[in-house]
Amino acid sequence: MSVLYEMVKNLLARPFTILYPSEKVPIPAAFRGRVAINDDTCIGCSKCSLVCSVQCISMADSPKEIEFKGKKVQRKKKPRLNLFRCIRCGLCERHCPTGAIHLKNELSESGTDRDMVVT
Amino acid sequence: MANVIVPIGPHHPALKEPVNFRIVADGERIVRLELDLSYNHRGIEKAAEQRDFIRVLPLLERVCGICSHSHSTVFVKGIEEIMELEIPPRARFIRTIIAELERMHSHLLWLGVAAHEVGFNTLFMWTWRDREAVQDTLEEMSGNRVHYGMNEVGGIRRDLTPSEVNAALARLPHLEERIREYAKMVNDQETLLIRFKGVGKLSRDEALAYGAVGPTARASGVDYDIRRDDPYLAYTVVPWNVVTDTSGDVYGRTRVRIGELQESIKIVRHCLENLPEGPIRVNAPKTAPKGEILSRYEAPRGELAHFIRTNGTDKVERVDIRTPTLANWTSVALCLVNQNLADIPVIVAAIDPCLSCTSRITVVNPKDRTTGIVTFDELRKQSHLRASMQERR
Amino acid sequence: MTDPLLTILYILVFPGFVFLLMYSLFFEFLDRRITARMQNRVGPPFFQPCADVVKMLGKEVIDPDGVDRRIFDAAPLVALAAVMTAFLCIPVGGNSIVRFQGDLILVLYLLTIPTIVLFLLGWLSRNVFSAIGGIRAVTQLFIYEVPFFLVMLAPALMAGTWSVSEIAHWQQENAWFLLLQPIGFVVALVCLQAKLERTPFDIPEAETEIVAGPWTELTGRRLALMHLAKDASLVTGSALIAALYLGGPMTPWVILPVWLGWAAGFFLFLVKTLAILLVLSSIKVATGRIRIDQLNAIGWKYITGAALVQIALVLVMNFWQVGI
Repeated sequence: MSVLYEMVKNLLARPFTILYPSEKVPIPAAFRGRVAINDDTCIGCSKCSLVCSVQCISMADSPKEIEFKGKKVQRKKKPRLNLFRCIRCGLCERHCPTGAIHLKNELSESGTDRDMVVT
Repeated sequence: MANVIVPIGPHHPALKEPVNFRIVADGERIVRLELDLSYNHRGIEKAAEQRDFIRVLPLLERVCGICSHSHSTVFVKGIEEIMELEIPPRARFIRTIIAELERMHSHLLWLGVAAHEVGFNTLFMWTWRDREAVQDTLEEMSGNRVHYGMNEVGGIRRDLTPSEVNAALARLPHLEERIREYAKMVNDQETLLIRFKGVGKLSRDEALAYGAVGPTARASGVDYDIRRDDPYLAYTVVPWNVVTDTSGDVYGRTRVRIGELQESIKIVRHCLENLPEGPIRVNAPKTAPKGEILSRYEAPRGELAHFIRTNGTDKVERVDIRTPTLANWTSVALCLVNQNLADIPVIVAAIDPCLSCTSRITVVNPKDRTTGIVTFDELRKQSHLRASMQERR
Repeated sequence: MTDPLLTILYILVFPGFVFLLMYSLFFEFLDRRITARMQNRVGPPFFQPCADVVKMLGKEVIDPDGVDRRIFDAAPLVALAAVMTAFLCIPVGGNSIVRFQGDLILVLYLLTIPTIVLFLLGWLSRNVFSAIGGIRAVTQLFIYEVPFFLVMLAPALMAGTWSVSEIAHWQQENAWFLLLQPIGFVVALVCLQAKLERTPFDIPEAETEIVAGPWTELTGRRLALMHLAKDASLVTGSALIAALYLGGPMTPWVILPVWLGWAAGFFLFLVKTLAILLVLSSIKVATGRIRIDQLNAIGWKYITGAALVQIALVLVMNFWQVGI
């Protein structure tokens, strides 16, 4: 009886559960977690804002001089992302020409502010 | 005892999603079923008309959590066919890998839920434990356990590194052995056998007449699988078999799904080992030419069809989603008559209902607080009316 | 008759009500832990059942529309009281203080009261799920009570006495009834599983079919008391089978001094009831729920048949010994 055999085997073995908080779930490298915007490489092209599926990215004024493909570009705006409305689909990361906006593989933890932004 | 109406739903522990069954029962025997869907209608088809081809994909993915890759792939496949785009072979293979991994996790989930519906919680815990291996693989490949976001028009979004391929291949032998164990358990376990065998019988003629699809129909002997009969992606170059059964009851459907699990592992292994090199996407145009297409796909639950009409802009004019669960509901209403009250969860779970996928129109009359459906004759009258109005214009 | 103070202490503290309640919470913990480990999970910590009862006692009591509040308040109390009284007659560490000829019948009678209470609650709940659950509970009662009573009768027939403590004592001089009547032991375990309404016989409480059956409208302290009654009947049932078939708290030979014999007997009682719990939990984990009409078929054909065979064997064996 395969069920009985497996039951007894499980009784004597370690449970499959990951015993948080002493053990943690291993997070793969490709995990879509926290959103981060790199201030030094963003050129303000607004592509992320246009592509965002839920329209949670707005562009805010932020002038800075950025080096892009060997030339000096004067950036006028920078994205402001509403973390609560973001669904972590990764379209902004896919269409960003410089890789300034990207999703890190850290867990984006919980917060209490609905209007939290990443900028 | 007079006929009693037992309300199963919209809130009920047996249901994971809201649906309203009003069962008219005589003692423990079911006389009639009155079905009321549409509690999960979210207006996705309308919202999809306002998003261009890049932004609409995350929306369509979220029609359903378990078959999310199915919805996204069938839409993208339809658009690519309208645009007459040929995607590179590597993209086709990776889409197939994700599709079959999704089928595996869906069927393992179903096995656990079916065991839970008969009170056999042990099998529920074990199958969901083994499903974690599939979910870990999907997370490594795509970044998320559901809503993978791998598709875009013209190919796929991210590539598979060799380490991801090897990690996935390393998990497959253990999974194969576990699935073989479950196949043995389903064949030997007495309580499962007496609860599943002979319950909810659907004959081949009834399945064909009422439009059942997927494993529900294949268990009744209907030999139809979109992957073989209207092929797409890599299913023509990978060796695999269609699994059918002749018994038509819940036990037959269990065997079909376990057989499909074993076939899926073979397909995934073949694709991972023979992954062709090359680019993962081609440049797609921003707008699609005018056209209409019916794109079909074998989702884990059956035949999923998207009807897409484009009109030369970068948005679709109309997308109509016909999910497999919607096609299977009438067969449930048929199977339930003259069965035991205790068999309701088993028969409903046997079609693998995914109510997020099913959305129907319901007519609500707020004045006298009734709800109803649109009957076929009313629909015909409406369509005749519209056709005559358009002619007059 | 012994010292009245000792009797009161026996009834109220040990091995009476306080011991019973603590032991039943411990049994529930062990049951859930063993079930979880067999399913490859972790399981609840030690104090979980106690925390559950305390939490349930503090919750709001909701009365459905038109339901008789007094019966709803009284019924769980009646169930718990019946089970606790039944436990007093079962020997825990030596003979029970309140034993008398015929207390076996009293124990069996009192143990059916929780099921009748469930039916009453189901019927009065004005809820279709509870009504169906109540009807299923009583149908199940009819099916398993006959074989259960028969196999509880078989040891009494062979030992020639109607008192549980004396049947246990009889096994100290002769062999355990487990060895003399193995069929009866198996039937007793299966019927106990049906009495306690655990898988594969948890038909009245089928979560996926009828929400919670007769338990649907119980809330707050009513649910806490009914829950305690269920746990206590698990302990009482196991103790009864241990006393009738495994020799109860009797040591294989008489140990002196008396207090050491009593302590050794109590230790053996714990071991035997825990062994029965292990078997019951394994049955619970290894099977799924069957339907009430399938239980009808299996119950009357196989279980009652086996019980009747056992009784016939006992009568034949008695006749033989009397003849010799």
